Amino acid sequence: MIEQFFTGFEMAMRLDTFILASAGLFAGMLIGALPGFTTLMAMAILLPVSFLLDPLVGIPFLLGIYKGGIFGGSIPAILVSMPGTGAAIATTYDGYQLTKKGQSRKALDMALFSSLIGDTSSDIFTLLMIFPIALLVMQFGPPELAAILLLSLVVVASTAGRNPIKGLLMMCIGLWFSMIGTDPIGGVERFTFGMFELKSGIPLLPMLIGVFAIPEIVSVVRANSSKIQGATKVLGERLKFHEFKRCLRTIGRSTVIGTGIGVVPGLGQVVAAMMGYTAAKNASATPENFGKGELEGVAAAEAANNAVNGPTMVPLLTLGIPGDNVTAILLGAFVAQGLRPGPELFETQGSIVFAILIIMVLANFLFLIIGYFAIPFFARIVSIKSSLLIPLVVLFAVAGSYVFRSDVFDILMLAFFGLFGVIARYGKFDVMPMVMGFILGEPLEYAFGQTMAMSEGNLISFALTERPGMLAIILLTPIIGFMLWRSVNKKQAQPEGSPPDESSIR
Amino acid sequence: MSLNKLLSKIAATTVLAVGMAGSAMAADYPEKPISLVIPLGAGGSHDLNARVMTSVIPQYLNQAMIVQLSPGASGQKGTNEVATAEPDGYTLLFAHNYTDQLQQHVENLPYDTLEDFVTVARTNFAPIAIVVPADSPYASAEDLFAAAKENPGKIKMAHSGNWGALFVPAAQLMQANGFELNLVPYKGGGPAMQALLSGDVDVTMGFPSTLAGQISAGKVKVLATAGSERIYDDVPSFSELGVGGDVGFMHRVVLAPKGIPEDRLQTLRDAFGQLNGDKTYQRMMSRLGENIDYMSGEDYEEMRKEQKVAYKSLVESITGQ
Repeated sequence: MIEQFFTGFEMAMRLDTFILASAGLFAGMLIGALPGFTTLMAMAILLPVSFLLDPLVGIPFLLGIYKGGIFGGSIPAILVSMPGTGAAIATTYDGYQLTKKGQSRKALDMALFSSLIGDTSSDIFTLLMIFPIALLVMQFGPPELAAILLLSLVVVASTAGRNPIKGLLMMCIGLWFSMIGTDPIGGVERFTFGMFELKSGIPLLPMLIGVFAIPEIVSVVRANSSKIQGATKVLGERLKFHEFKRCLRTIGRSTVIGTGIGVVPGLGQVVAAMMGYTAAKNASATPENFGKGELEGVAAAEAANNAVNGPTMVPLLTLGIPGDNVTAILLGAFVAQGLRPGPELFETQGSIVFAILIIMVLANFLFLIIGYFAIPFFARIVSIKSSLLIPLVVLFAVAGSYVFRSDVFDILMLAFFGLFGVIARYGKFDVMPMVMGFILGEPLEYAFGQTMAMSEGNLISFALTERPGMLAIILLTPIIGFMLWRSVNKKQAQPEGSPPDESSIR
Repeated sequence: MSLNKLLSKIAATTVLAVGMAGSAMAADYPEKPISLVIPLGAGGSHDLNARVMTSVIPQYLNQAMIVQLSPGASGQKGTNEVATAEPDGYTLLFAHNYTDQLQQHVENLPYDTLEDFVTVARTNFAPIAIVVPADSPYASAEDLFAAAKENPGKIKMAHSGNWGALFVPAAQLMQANGFELNLVPYKGGGPAMQALLSGDVDVTMGFPSTLAGQISAGKVKVLATAGSERIYDDVPSFSELGVGGDVGFMHRVVLAPKGIPEDRLQTLRDAFGQLNGDKTYQRMMSRLGENIDYMSGEDYEEMRKEQKVAYKSLVESITGQ
């Protein structure tokens, strides 16, 4: 195996590999930065290009798009409070506040560095531990997934903010939103009011753009109209080393959380970013700064969502099973090259697998360079006059909602959720628990349905006899929830220097 | 009455005018890119197939064909979009037989696939295989069926979603042989296979293109494959097990909205016929592990009518219980 590793290393050292990987990274970053265009779409469209290339050039090209796209999603999240993907939701919390303070460049730098550290560490971990991870992945089935999703909901609820009742209420609304449409297992229509458009459920992107970006647009417009200077138009400084050093602990913690979540099939980047953020807030001595432009908040979310990447490749590489759509496209690229990922590939052509894993790590260094030089250009976007910027953002909000499914109905959804976001802000309700409830609701329901089918209706005896992992997580859930709730309460009970600020409720 | 007459007159003139405009333009067809709507998600087998198709077919159409993904409501959203699209040959649907002919018996749909669509081509099909872990107690399909008869609902089978490509063949086998499995849904064929390997379920199904890796690694064994011919030398076909007919095949089909001018339909049918003979297309498809078992639009139209009847009785027998 060591031998294969070194052969793989030699194979990875190719100029064309690096050039195409860079091209993929750059393309991915641009596409990811455009709301509505997903990394997945970009990969699917460019997949045939990889057919024509050598495996060690074509696959790194696709991997580049993937990695670039995830970082790209954080750019509009930071600059205009418009998460391009679910993975960037937690980044909007502090990233946009930093932009408001005129520190957008710093925030983008932080996002880049923490993404890369999270990604690189998880890739290296995957490279070294690929077989143990493969065994671990097999321990998680629908019952464990359901338990972990339930735990995630409890974590979100218990750290929702100053007013847990408001947080819980929003989460329940989110869970209800997730139930609208065709029931994922039985295929029964629910709450669609006979509207065909609602049958496929509420689309995520219009909801995200609606609740996060629209209220910001409204508030900037209102501020400008009353002659108060709105968002600052300063590019700001680059990230300083001491600021970066301060966040290293957070980045480390988020990397571990993200990698762990990556091992569980079906959780993904959204949950990782949220958990990384929550953990950072909980561990911080000054949790009240979170949500008001805390660099650590950006670092926590971005390191965690990128750390998911390494382990999600494991089922594909070791078993040949794609766990999600991104890995399904990668499988297509492998197979088209005559390589069939799986145990056999490791035995016969292990060096190629290692070469690809090594390229994944090295691509991160390329990305550091590309990202570092691209950030000033992106950061400049917010220095546009707001009379131009606002219409532009509105255009992107509408186009981003529309383009994903090319459906006019989604623009109506954007308007609805925009209104929802504005009202929620007016009533000082945090929209985050709603969004998390919506995102976690569907997989939770699905995994629960699967578990019920597997247990033939005898859930309790099933958990007791066959699923110790699920049982353990369920028993731990109230304890973890209570501990988090108490620590949040304790910190809030302490007298704080700053008076309660409205802007903490976002 | 007079209003009705007037309306019908207007309609007649419009039809005439449109018809003339259509025939005048037919020579130029296609004069702009054609969109191929996939009512399924990104990264699935339809998506991959379509990427290959659309990268080669411009040679024969002299126009680009653009893939447009429109997933949602198990394929109904995209299908409805094409059903209500202008039948001008610029919007096509790339679907499979289950969204095309089965779904209408399970749910109320705003369209009638047989009335609203006409087949351009069946690009290929995939036969399903019954798969168990290598160390499974069931050595043959008969063993499995017998065990399922003895313990109805106790044997767990992972499938890729209700009325999907793995669920329907299972239902068809259950109907034909009178046994009952506990059908556990997963989000796609990949997760279903993972559930089999981790021991969460006892049996699943899969297409040969996705199974090759697991078989050669010795992790799974195949008990039977769909059709009348054997795919693996030592594995019986469904026909040998007494299950005949169009059971366990997923047909990938390109459909056009009905009302498409006849000459345009012919242009498209010819282009897909030529595509099938294309060397690059053949090579790329075989790399994906897909066959290129093309069937002409005319022939597949006949199959659709049979499917409609067969699926109706299947759904009734499953949901009627």
